[in-house]
Amino acid sequence: MTGVEQSIGERVALWLRQLGVMTLKEFPQLVRDRPVFAYIVFIFTLDIIIAAGQSVELNNAKVVINDADQSMASRELTYRFRAPYFDVAETNLHPDIALSWLDRGQATLLIDIPPNFSESLYRGDEVATVQMLVDTSNANIGFLAASYGSRIAAELGTQFTAQRTASVTALPRIDNQRRVRFNADINESWFSSISELLAVITVACIFLPAVAMVREKERGTVEQLLVSPLSPFQVMFAKVLAMMTVMLIGTAFSLFVIMQPLFDVPARGSLALFFALTALYAFATAGIGMLAATFARNTAQLGMLLMLIVFPIILLSGLWVQLESMPTWLRQVMNLTPLRYFIDIAYGILLRGVDIAIIWDSVLKMTAIGIVLFGVALWRFRRQFGG
Amino acid sequence: MGETALVSEFRLAGKQPPHFTNQSIIKVEAFGKSYRKTVAVSDVNLEVRRGQLYGLLGPDGAGKSSLMKAVAGVMSFEAGNVGVFDVRLDSEAASETIKDRIGFMPQGLGLNLYPELSVEENIDFFARLRLVPEHELFERKQQLLAMTRLAPFRNRLMKKLSGGMKQKLGLICTLIHEPELLILDEPTTGVDPVSRRDFWIILSNLVRERGITALVTTAYMDEASRFHRISLMYEGKVLAEGEPERVCEMAEGSVVMLKSASQTQAIEVLRQVFPQVQPEGNWIRLFVDGAKAEEAVLQTRDAMGELTVNRVHAEETELEDAFTALLRHKGLTSLDEETTLGSVNMETNTESLNGIGIEALELTKNFGEFTAVDRVSFKVAEGEIFGLLGANGAGKTTVIKVLTGIMPASRGSGNVAGANLTHLGRAIKQRIGYMSQQFSLYTDLTVVENILLYAGIYGLRPVEARARCDWICTMAGLHSHINERTSRLPVGMRQRLALGCALVHRPRVLFLDEPTSGIDPIGRQRFWKILFQLSREEGVTVLVTTHYMSEAEHCDHLVLMHAGRLVADASPEVLKQEVETEVGRILELDSPHAKHALEHLAANGFNNPVMFGKHIHVWSKYPESDVVRISDLLGLEHAAIRVRDLSMDDVFVHRIRSLERPVSTVTEELMS
Repeated sequence: MTGVEQSIGERVALWLRQLGVMTLKEFPQLVRDRPVFAYIVFIFTLDIIIAAGQSVELNNAKVVINDADQSMASRELTYRFRAPYFDVAETNLHPDIALSWLDRGQATLLIDIPPNFSESLYRGDEVATVQMLVDTSNANIGFLAASYGSRIAAELGTQFTAQRTASVTALPRIDNQRRVRFNADINESWFSSISELLAVITVACIFLPAVAMVREKERGTVEQLLVSPLSPFQVMFAKVLAMMTVMLIGTAFSLFVIMQPLFDVPARGSLALFFALTALYAFATAGIGMLAATFARNTAQLGMLLMLIVFPIILLSGLWVQLESMPTWLRQVMNLTPLRYFIDIAYGILLRGVDIAIIWDSVLKMTAIGIVLFGVALWRFRRQFGG
Repeated sequence: MGETALVSEFRLAGKQPPHFTNQSIIKVEAFGKSYRKTVAVSDVNLEVRRGQLYGLLGPDGAGKSSLMKAVAGVMSFEAGNVGVFDVRLDSEAASETIKDRIGFMPQGLGLNLYPELSVEENIDFFARLRLVPEHELFERKQQLLAMTRLAPFRNRLMKKLSGGMKQKLGLICTLIHEPELLILDEPTTGVDPVSRRDFWIILSNLVRERGITALVTTAYMDEASRFHRISLMYEGKVLAEGEPERVCEMAEGSVVMLKSASQTQAIEVLRQVFPQVQPEGNWIRLFVDGAKAEEAVLQTRDAMGELTVNRVHAEETELEDAFTALLRHKGLTSLDEETTLGSVNMETNTESLNGIGIEALELTKNFGEFTAVDRVSFKVAEGEIFGLLGANGAGKTTVIKVLTGIMPASRGSGNVAGANLTHLGRAIKQRIGYMSQQFSLYTDLTVVENILLYAGIYGLRPVEARARCDWICTMAGLHSHINERTSRLPVGMRQRLALGCALVHRPRVLFLDEPTSGIDPIGRQRFWKILFQLSREEGVTVLVTTHYMSEAEHCDHLVLMHAGRLVADASPEVLKQEVETEVGRILELDSPHAKHALEHLAANGFNNPVMFGKHIHVWSKYPESDVVRISDLLGLEHAAIRVRDLSMDDVFVHRIRSLERPVSTVTEELMS
């Protein structure tokens, strides 16, 4: 053959042509794999819609009240527990029955107003007691219900005090003036749909190229590729390239056809920058899957292995849980996942409209992690097949 | 209660010589089975009597497995009746009643076994599943383990056994409850010739000594003579039924072997007259329709005209010849309809390789402590078809992987297609084609997508790739299937496509690792026709491994591997010659009292007499005088004793056996 006399230009063209055919072959394979294809369509469409509807706010929490006081003050307190946060089911329930509601999970909050409530309030006792029992089997909802409840009670207390001491003017007060930035209506669907999109991108980028890789092993076609003049890099990178394309198409579809028309999610920064960095993220994250693919012998093994990796990454990288609320060691571990940086990048560009000058360090760290992961995967693949 | 009754009944049956009871064990009438709209089997009739070893032969997809499953009572069917032990299998309840009395081994190497359990644990599990009493289990287990030579491995995990050993363990597990009827679905597929022969010896002893009845399927046509009766199946129908010899006779005509100095021309000339012509090494094998032996030879000479005929003789029709002929006579196939090979027109770059296609120099490959390939050296001339034979795990695949550069050698070196293995790994890759043991195509891509993919991988430009695509489709007869997904093609066609893909870049050397397993004889003949043309006309060097010993005869040059070492290296003819001078030839004899005859022969110092279907085979160094001796000894007529030509199978088994002699002598003792 003439391999030796080829010019550099010809060799590059050949190299690209090989990478091209390897990448292109993935598309018909993916489309013909019906279950996988259906899954991809689902995660970039319906899944985003479902996720956008979910909320971490308190919605219609059932409240039962035992109002033994039956005064204007107690009624005022009852009145303040209202929609959309609370749903007062009963106001005059015997304490024992009210307690059984709580036991059966029919109510989240039980408020017991003692008979002398308004009396001690007007008298200006140091404390006017109201008992609040909270079902915290769902810690998040319980916590919110409790804190909203306390705030309502505290506000009421302050107002009564203000009324009573109206003559004694000039009680020091702080006027808290809020200016909400980036999401003026505090529209939760913005945050949750973007979070879900990032989660979905992560799952797709880890699973798809890894599955494509392990399938080659499983079916034995990898041997055929190894005796061909392809380099292991071309074999692996073609998978990443193909699945990166699929994922970018999915992301664009989610963003333009679902998130923007349905939920008015803004894209304040440069979209070109967003998609470029999403592609970079796809490469960085694919490294995780490719590395796992060098350990797994078949798709079943790969699936189990990736479950162990993907769930912690999505749960702990800061998508749903604040990084700051986690122990230091765990935070440091999460600093090694590309997703942790991509979260900053995606929210930054889409919601805060920042440009590369502000997020460049995240971009750099993400790229470095991606190169290391892919490099190790490539090294293991080479070693396994001795190429 | 019912259990003991069954056992004693079985014992009783076991004591009687099989031919006294002529009871029908399996009776299948007008059987038919469809999967959705595809008809798998239609209108099949067969009857198996007690003590028979009954074979179902045919290529993949002939409907053998469907029939087996129906007889085992594990599959429902639409048409006809299936009766086993006089029970009509028309309901699940009916099938339940016979399950204690049958043993069923499904297709696939050790698929019914548990890989994480040891040999003994597997046996115990199946015994307990079948409620075998513990005190009997111990004795049966000893007996079966000894018979199969697995006793030394009783604590080894199943997954660490070789293919042949797995199959033997599968047989033990099927036998542990002492069934009266054995149903074995392709027990020898993917198993090497030595293990296969072991398996048959064990099976025929069981049938003979215990009066067991067995229904067995196989894709190896050369195993036909192992059976008492066979049904030859093709595409869901029975093509022929009867004793193996009778079935061979049903294809009227004779096989002629011919040797000519101008082999390629001779083949071309003969193909114009006879429909079934194929090269076999330096020989040409052809089938002359409707002619007796002498007449067939004469017709062949006539057809050759002016071409030189070095040697010519008639030979016994083998089932493979008969199968092809029967299909042709019934108009079900024609050898040439699809592959119009006219000219291969490879336009190969004729860069010379200095006459050497492949050279291995002291190649060694270690996996940790284990030496898979041990100082293997051989030389393959350019344009030669070179066969690499050996049992499972002998190291054939590893040799190929090292030579193709999938794995580096631990020591030693080699030259492939004119490039050095250690220094020019990448250069080699452009010059070789490789078809792996596993299926090497993308089954979810279409024919044309596969070809263009491989063309791109080898850096062909689009125009060039299109031209090669055309050539491959012509070569493999795929023009009408070009946009079909590979998964929907028949196996034979897929293998030709895989071969085409391996040829897309016009390689000088071709590596084929078991390219024909599971393909029917006609598919294999087509495949070899292409290989032959590549080697003779294009000068492509072909290295091939195979378990079909009949294919080994097609090679110009063979090497035999055993336990990582090379143990023989010569042409098929020379290999046969060597064995013949060492141990002689095989005498085949029929005796009405087989057991008595076997004992007599062994007692009189004859070498290793064994049952081979209905016949007894015995080695003999001096065939002429031994025929007389044996006929006196057993009171047989001379005509009942035939001198058989050695087959490659005999050579292979003899060579390997002599290397593991110490163990096999033990087996013979145990079995007699």
